Amino acid sequence: MSITLNEFLFVSGLLFTIGFLGVLLRRNTLIIYMGLELMLNAVNLALVGFSRFNQTMDGNIFVFFIITVAAAEVAVGLAIIVALYRKRQTVMVDELNALSH
Amino acid sequence: MELETLLTAILLVPLGSAAMIALFLRRGGYAAAAVSVVAAAVILGLSLTFLLTWNGVTQEVSTVWLTLGSYEVTMGFLVNYQTATMLFIVAFVGFWIHVFSVGYMNEDESKGRFFGGLSIFMFSMLGIVLANNLIMIFVFWELVGFSSYMLIAHYWDKDYAAAASKKAFIVNRVGDFGFILGIVWTYWQYGTTNLVLLDAQLNNDASTVLGLLLACGFIGKSAQFPLHVWLTDAMAGPTPVSALIHAATMVAAGVYFMARIFFMLSPETQEVILWLCAAMTLFAGLCALGQTDIKKTLAYSTLSHLGFMGAAIGLGFPSLALLHMAMHAFFKATLFLCSGSVIHACHHEQDMFKMGGLWRKMPITTLTCILAALSIMAVPYFAGFYSKDTILSGAWLLAHTDGRYYVIYAILLLAALSTALYTGRMVWVVFFGQSNSDNAAHAKESNLFMTVPLLVLAAFSVGAAWFLEFDVSLLPETVTVALKHGYATITQADVVHHSHYLLLGLSVGVMIVGVLATFFFYGPGASEDKLQRRYGLVYKILHKHGWFDDVYDAYVVKVQQRVADFFGFLDLILISGFMVRGTAGLAGLLSLVTRSFHVGSIHGYVYWFLAGVVIFGAFAFHLI
Repeated sequence: MSITLNEFLFVSGLLFTIGFLGVLLRRNTLIIYMGLELMLNAVNLALVGFSRFNQTMDGNIFVFFIITVAAAEVAVGLAIIVALYRKRQTVMVDELNALSH
Repeated sequence: MELETLLTAILLVPLGSAAMIALFLRRGGYAAAAVSVVAAAVILGLSLTFLLTWNGVTQEVSTVWLTLGSYEVTMGFLVNYQTATMLFIVAFVGFWIHVFSVGYMNEDESKGRFFGGLSIFMFSMLGIVLANNLIMIFVFWELVGFSSYMLIAHYWDKDYAAAASKKAFIVNRVGDFGFILGIVWTYWQYGTTNLVLLDAQLNNDASTVLGLLLACGFIGKSAQFPLHVWLTDAMAGPTPVSALIHAATMVAAGVYFMARIFFMLSPETQEVILWLCAAMTLFAGLCALGQTDIKKTLAYSTLSHLGFMGAAIGLGFPSLALLHMAMHAFFKATLFLCSGSVIHACHHEQDMFKMGGLWRKMPITTLTCILAALSIMAVPYFAGFYSKDTILSGAWLLAHTDGRYYVIYAILLLAALSTALYTGRMVWVVFFGQSNSDNAAHAKESNLFMTVPLLVLAAFSVGAAWFLEFDVSLLPETVTVALKHGYATITQADVVHHSHYLLLGLSVGVMIVGVLATFFFYGPGASEDKLQRRYGLVYKILHKHGWFDDVYDAYVVKVQQRVADFFGFLDLILISGFMVRGTAGLAGLLSLVTRSFHVGSIHGYVYWFLAGVVIFGAFAFHLI
């Protein structure tokens, strides 16, 4: 059985869905953040797959950009989460809610 | 003063008075009375100015009030001899009743409200008198109904008064339903509702049904069968109100209206009105014998005489109807004011059989009441004689060409007998004999505010019609022109001339029989109603006036209430339920969804983000 593009895309989609559902349904801010990273990495996988099966380098270059930006974003995001924890003593999303409902 | 300005002033002065009282003087009893009486005096003065200086030429002025597409509603004045007659009556009788009210309502705490109501009534009535088209007449017709509603319920804390005012208004509305259908038909068929233009187009050849529909307004307002049930209950209002509105002017507005649009009534319409009103005349006259309340007796008397006026219209003599209306206004107002004087003196005792012997204590009231009674019974040379007997002669005259009118003559003659009966009964029982209660024993003559109007109106009850036979006239010349035609036609007809003594003998005979019969049957100053004691069943039928009220009550409760309940149910489910609360519910649902934007839940924001992506994707893929 040979690996075709479809398998890459399937796995990528699956990872994306898992990451998205994690953002939707989990209450811990750090887990939500992990979901976001998972979604980014799913896209990375898809791009690499396209690049391999179309025999071009475009996809790979794009992946490098995504990794860089994701890293920077993680640094900033985690700093915010740490600051938020120091202020609110919690990372649970429903407890962070300052708006009344 | 120019005619148009004069008439506008006459119309608007009472409105101004009512507005002033309503805005500033509701608590100020004497001030409100003063304003109202002054306004009535001004109206009388202006009306006399007009009547004495008018040259008799029919005039019409109008202005456009509303424009709805191609349809224009105009407001205007039509001044002809009929207008002059009615204007005098309304202004003159109205003024004296205003003066009387000052005395009668002396101890009342809500004088302000009462006099405001009188002023708004004068405004509405004058509107009907002066109007030149059917729509304007209808507007003021409803206003008069409102004034009546307000004034009947003057003692609003009494249940029967509030119920009576509602009944009056609702029964009037039923008549007005036919009236408005008639107006719509008129406009649809003739393209106008203006009286002058209609007069030019028609000559008693309008459709019968149209005439009957317009007559529905007359039947409602002038309380003819089958819409007569409200007038007796309307006696719950203060006596000046009964005198002014329910005797002299408002109920006469129906007759005036019929005379105004007489050219629209086909012979068949006239015939229907004739039979209806003649029957009413007799029926009401008899029912008056079944009442112990003095005001209710006079109310049935009014119904009976309105029947006379309707019969005159039905016989084809509108000017005769106007003549009787004018004379009736004088003597009926006198009678009502006398009863008011008596009621006031006996501390609001209204049962006739608890009075008695008042001629010693209240000589002026007794004198004026007797004069008015002689007039209503049509004693020769009194005002009532000229109008009432001429109606009888008119029936006799027509009977020579059509034998059926002998029946009408007989009915009207019997009605004249009943007039003599109930009037005789009232006078003997109330004024003569011995006092039957403490209230009556301690009565004393009323003050000047009440006796002067009585004397003036009694004088007019005696002599108002002298212009027909002699050269002296109590009324201005322009007022009498509209009243002469029918009288002249009938009395100068050969047939009537030959039977002159027969007719005179019959009516005088009937009157004497009535007066003597009541003297011997009831006895002066009787303390109980002998008819009730000896002929209980007859009395019961008359007292319940043929059970009309009960029939209408049953209809309202069994039929109308059920239909109303059904529609109420539909309203609850469909309109309140689906439409109002349904749309509110939809809005609520929408709000629940969009609310998630503002509660600070991160998960909510992510869902919105997803929704946005979906919409953008659909847009990108040309799905929307």
